[in-house]
Amino acid sequence: MASLTRVKTKAKTNELKTRFTWKEVKRQKVLLFWAALIVAYGVVFYYAPLAGWLMGFQDYKPKDGLFGSAFIGLAKFQRLFSDATFLRVIRNTLAMGVINLISTFVMAILFAILLNEIKSKGGKKVVQTISYLPHFLSWIIVTGILHDALSTSGIINELLLKFHILDQPLNFFAHPKYFWPLVAFANVWKETGWNAIIYLAAITAIDPSLYEAASIDGAGRLAKIKYVTLPGIRPTIMITLLMNVGNVLNAGFEIQYLLGNGLVQSVSQTIDIYVLKWGISQGDYAMGTAAGIFKSLVSIVLIVIANQIAKHNGEERLF
Amino acid sequence: MKLKKAVALLVTAAMTMSIMAGCGSNGDSKTSADADKQSETQDASKEDSGEIKEFTAFFATPGSEINDDNEVQQIIAERVGAKCKETWLTGQTDKEAIGTMIAGGEYPDFIEGGSATPQLIDAGALVPLDDYLDQYPNIKALFSEQDWDKLRQSDGHIYFIPQFGTVKGRERVCTHNDEAFWIQTRVLEWAGYPKVETMDEYFDLIEAYNEANPTMEDGTTNIPYTILCEDWRYFCLENAPQFLDGYPNDGSCIVDPDELKVIDYNTTPTAKRYFQKLNEEYQKGIVDPESFTQTYDEYISKLSTGRVLGMIDQWWDFAYTAEDSIKSQGLDAQGCQYVPLPITIEKGMKNQWHNSGAVLNVSSGIAITTSCDDVEGALQFMNDLLDQEIHNLRFWGVEGVDYSVNENGEFVRSTEQRQQATDSAYKASHLCTYSYFPQYSGTSDDGINANKTDGQENEFFDGLSDSVKKCFEAYGAQTYVEMIGTTEAPGAWYPMWSYSNSLNTSTEGGTAWTLMGEIKHEYLPKVVMAADFESAWEEYMTAYDGCNPQAFLDEMQAELDRRMEEAAKYE
Repeated sequence: MASLTRVKTKAKTNELKTRFTWKEVKRQKVLLFWAALIVAYGVVFYYAPLAGWLMGFQDYKPKDGLFGSAFIGLAKFQRLFSDATFLRVIRNTLAMGVINLISTFVMAILFAILLNEIKSKGGKKVVQTISYLPHFLSWIIVTGILHDALSTSGIINELLLKFHILDQPLNFFAHPKYFWPLVAFANVWKETGWNAIIYLAAITAIDPSLYEAASIDGAGRLAKIKYVTLPGIRPTIMITLLMNVGNVLNAGFEIQYLLGNGLVQSVSQTIDIYVLKWGISQGDYAMGTAAGIFKSLVSIVLIVIANQIAKHNGEERLF
Repeated sequence: MKLKKAVALLVTAAMTMSIMAGCGSNGDSKTSADADKQSETQDASKEDSGEIKEFTAFFATPGSEINDDNEVQQIIAERVGAKCKETWLTGQTDKEAIGTMIAGGEYPDFIEGGSATPQLIDAGALVPLDDYLDQYPNIKALFSEQDWDKLRQSDGHIYFIPQFGTVKGRERVCTHNDEAFWIQTRVLEWAGYPKVETMDEYFDLIEAYNEANPTMEDGTTNIPYTILCEDWRYFCLENAPQFLDGYPNDGSCIVDPDELKVIDYNTTPTAKRYFQKLNEEYQKGIVDPESFTQTYDEYISKLSTGRVLGMIDQWWDFAYTAEDSIKSQGLDAQGCQYVPLPITIEKGMKNQWHNSGAVLNVSSGIAITTSCDDVEGALQFMNDLLDQEIHNLRFWGVEGVDYSVNENGEFVRSTEQRQQATDSAYKASHLCTYSYFPQYSGTSDDGINANKTDGQENEFFDGLSDSVKKCFEAYGAQTYVEMIGTTEAPGAWYPMWSYSNSLNTSTEGGTAWTLMGEIKHEYLPKVVMAADFESAWEEYMTAYDGCNPQAFLDEMQAELDRRMEEAAKYE
């Protein structure tokens, strides 16, 4: 959210094009003061820690520290990319990231539109509140619920047996093919309500006269959604999509860590788990850093590409 | 203008300060943390009547925290003038927890690094203890000079003190605190206490019982056999082949005692037979289908219901949770408690599930970190905890409350006291064993009592439920150990797991070892669940060979040779 507001202010200053004079500075001093603080915050907490990237190019030893360890160039990166596990982990991260992105994104918009169509105000509030509550649960609890519900004696298996869809209980966690859908499902369940809030807000901002005009033109509900609501929230959709593309590689850590087991590890491990397993656990911090750098670079590339596409199509964009 | 200057100044100041704080994790922040700690300690000692030092400890092993106002802890604190706040591993592996701690550069006063201990030493986080040891007679007396030398690292220093495996006086062992094929007494009773010696007999018995009694008394379906497979606890699945072949728990390989050669137990014919058997039983529905996806907590709650007829596990892994819970629910009357069976691959083989004698773990122990600002005080605290009087407080509790002394000077407990000691709420509010500080088993200085309750024979027998007593009687055994027999620890190298535990990816063998673990985690469950065992086994073996296990075995062989050489120096 913070970055979104920042984007908006940036857009506004561009529009205004105020001339830079000392008088103007004086007039805006409070604003500048706070802006400076935010810049300082960014420098200290987002840019200064980047110095730690040096570790990725070192034979890092905690005893010698960042300044005493020997530089070894790209050796860690070479090892990383010659490791079949790492390549598999990239695949898993990308796959789960994309699946999560599409499913949560589509579901949130769909949910916001459907919710908007509910006439009863009370009912709408209740549904909305219930739907975004899971967002506040931590993953450990969500995975606990999933584990219970999907266990061989859990409610899902019991239902499937009762309806004779299955002859014997199915152990969902033992099959690699169910893992990605499970993760996507958990993400959708947890985040749909929360993500829908921003779209609901955007929908309320649509001028009601547009709906009235559409009604007069004989548009039904579906037509109104198609021709008024969706175009109305299009800029919001584009911006959130762009920001989410940058997050694709943050496909998750907790859920895969908590739901995974030996049987599905070939599809469950993400880059973050790899960093924990081979970087932190084995004391190879340099390797962990290298994997982290790779992840950041790919994220930057993804977001730039998405932004360029948006620019090319004349859509709302980040920069 | 003035304002702008002020802002600029403020921002620069804020930036430099946070940058310094960020970079100086080895210097600045530590002193400030120390200062915090000192002021905390001072505050605490002001509150208490005497000068009670407060230490902190982290143990990279799961455990339960005790309450801050724990009664025995308070008594010990008043006697020795120090106490320690202990925290344990939760939901992580030891390597993850310690790795994160090293990255942060801040440590508690005491630390037990588990398998990540070498990383702590490499990071320079531990204080060398060798120069101090002579001033602390109780600590010094824990080990012989030879054993202390075994604890020296490559730089010649001693950094940690193993807590376990020190026996004082006569050894007293009643429980089999190790791995075994466990079985519920009700199964044995139903079959008329037959002789069960092989894996085939074991599963036949479980199958037969389950067919005749598919449910418990209250109608809950039995789970004939389950396997815990979560993370490092997958020893319940993977290392049985070494025992089945009659070797002791070297843990990561077999050592041929005559040739002194390291053998890989993963690829032996016995290993194949063992997993084939599990595969058959899985197809028959005897092996719990949730085996490979359950978490440790789910496993323990499963065992606690009394539904599970048998499994492989280490006693300590389930006894203090599941077994205690079975007892407190009164399920012992139904015969839901577990006893070990002496199982080997063929009949008539000598088994070594249990070894007698002290086993020194040279790979990890309690250490004092560089964050500790009172190393001498910390050592004094450890030293005092070994005083017999304090030791009794730790492992027996308070006289008159937790036990009483009879006319022969023996410690005895009533049924209520025994029950109380297994109650988790009581353990948290009253008992304080400092269980990961150095301690003794064997016999107390008074020559009568055992150092720990489970070694006290009279106490042990009185504490047994009728169903277990009956079972022991039927097999002519008096203790768990006699159920499976015992042998001397096999040689000076034993146990090899203390070396493999400390391997990491900085060596070729360590990388192989880590990869082998990954592959086994994935393929062993597949092998057990496979519809076609032979092809699944082939696939597993191909993947396994791809890890370069020979590099690991070579390193183990080198360590074995080194240990034998070291031992030869003292002969």
